Amino acid sequence: MSFTDWRATLAALELFDANVRVGASGPHGALTLGADALEQELASFAITGALAAHWAGLEYDAAHGNGVLAELRRDWLTPVFAATPETLAQLERLRPRAAQLAFGALRHNFSSARWCCGELCEYLQSRRVVTVISRDDLDWEGLARLLDDFPGLPVVFVNAGYRGDRYLWPLLRRHSHLYFDTSGYLAHRQLEAFVERMGAEQAVFGSRLPLFTPAAALATLLSARMSDAQRRAVAGGNLRRLLAEVQA
Amino acid sequence: MTPAPFRAPVPIVDCHGHLGVHPDFPAYKTEPEEMLEVMDALNIERLAITSTLACYSDAPRGNAEVAACLARHGDRFLGYVTVNPHPRGEAVRELERWADWHRPPLIKMHPDLHQAPVEAAGYRPVWEYADANGGIVLVHTWDSDGNCGPLRLLPIARAYPGARIILGHSGVTWRGYEQAMVVARQAPNTYLDLSGSQAHRGILERCVAEVGAERILFGSDMPYLEAAAPLGRVLAAQLPEAAKTLILRGNFCRLLGEAAA
Repeated sequence: MSFTDWRATLAALELFDANVRVGASGPHGALTLGADALEQELASFAITGALAAHWAGLEYDAAHGNGVLAELRRDWLTPVFAATPETLAQLERLRPRAAQLAFGALRHNFSSARWCCGELCEYLQSRRVVTVISRDDLDWEGLARLLDDFPGLPVVFVNAGYRGDRYLWPLLRRHSHLYFDTSGYLAHRQLEAFVERMGAEQAVFGSRLPLFTPAAALATLLSARMSDAQRRAVAGGNLRRLLAEVQA
Repeated sequence: MTPAPFRAPVPIVDCHGHLGVHPDFPAYKTEPEEMLEVMDALNIERLAITSTLACYSDAPRGNAEVAACLARHGDRFLGYVTVNPHPRGEAVRELERWADWHRPPLIKMHPDLHQAPVEAAGYRPVWEYADANGGIVLVHTWDSDGNCGPLRLLPIARAYPGARIILGHSGVTWRGYEQAMVVARQAPNTYLDLSGSQAHRGILERCVAEVGAERILFGSDMPYLEAAAPLGRVLAAQLPEAAKTLILRGNFCRLLGEAAA
């Protein structure tokens, strides 16, 4: 094997990235990528599709970011629109296939409890919108409550890292509508052990571009012992299935 | 149930590994024989290990576990002597007890878990020992940590020029890497370790540009972290193949006093 030919094996996986952000960012300015540069970066790893949120929608204003994101029309890009109680009307117009709930105090700063986000989550649930939530924005107890409250809401929990299995695995067993991204799932043989014991249905490949290189999560996926079907499911099959289930 | 083809093109000599488990999340496949399976698959020829038990609680018992592993698999593992700065005299006793593991000695400090700054009095005899013996000292570093932020190693490196200091994880975060590069630029006896949980885009290329490929070491942190992850970062980096070979193998071989071939 040479230094470069491992990338050739990636194309067969039909990769779809669950964890990408596009546009300018205040704190991450040096690393951020516009849509065209992001497309090149994804293509260099044979990643053919991505859920992409816009930094402005997370850092500044949900409605503003959603407007900018809506104008980025790319075949590979599935927009992840920022969902807040105030953007519900905008979301109803945009008809998103994916949305992000950024409950955190330094993000959109609202509660994940039904009394606060109930109407918004009911809308997302009614259309089975793929709903991205970052570990940075919701603790495990809050996630557990949300999953109980909205049993039809497909949730992709991103940035969960590698230390959370004592929370993550019981929640995944309890909620078949919960998924997690693999961008930080980088403990020794962790993904391999997960698939052996829990199956491949609830893991989705994510890179955390543009901050992280996809190389680490991809190498982890490639080197894990699992069947080809399981590897393709994690690489993109699971996420594509979720997106296909969104109600128009 | 086979891995897809993914393997280093040159045999890796890995500067950062462990033996044991950890308290805060479940450990998977941590027995030496299970680690060897992964090493074979990824083409990791040898792995330098430190006892995780020693990093947390009990250095003498942990180092003894490493000795037992070396007795079984001495052709595949190298042993760091892990030192705890707190029990009076214990650190040097451990260094002398296990002095036959490797020359120059491999020494591990975990100032974060032992909750002592790298310049603490309890570490001073260790630095003196490393300085006198050309010791290779792997120090856990983390961003601006009060015990082991990378910048704390700069005066240490200058005070003990005979020691070769590996900045474990290179400070982990983007800011930590920036600090580690400051140290590496100013102290020629310091080295950057690629192990860590954060796969910053472009950081490896930046490190090579700032300090040179000769000062960067492949580390996996196996079986704490996934070894394939840093390997992927190296393979995908926009760097000449000669630089990648140095990082994966040549540099640590040189520190160990071996020819890289």
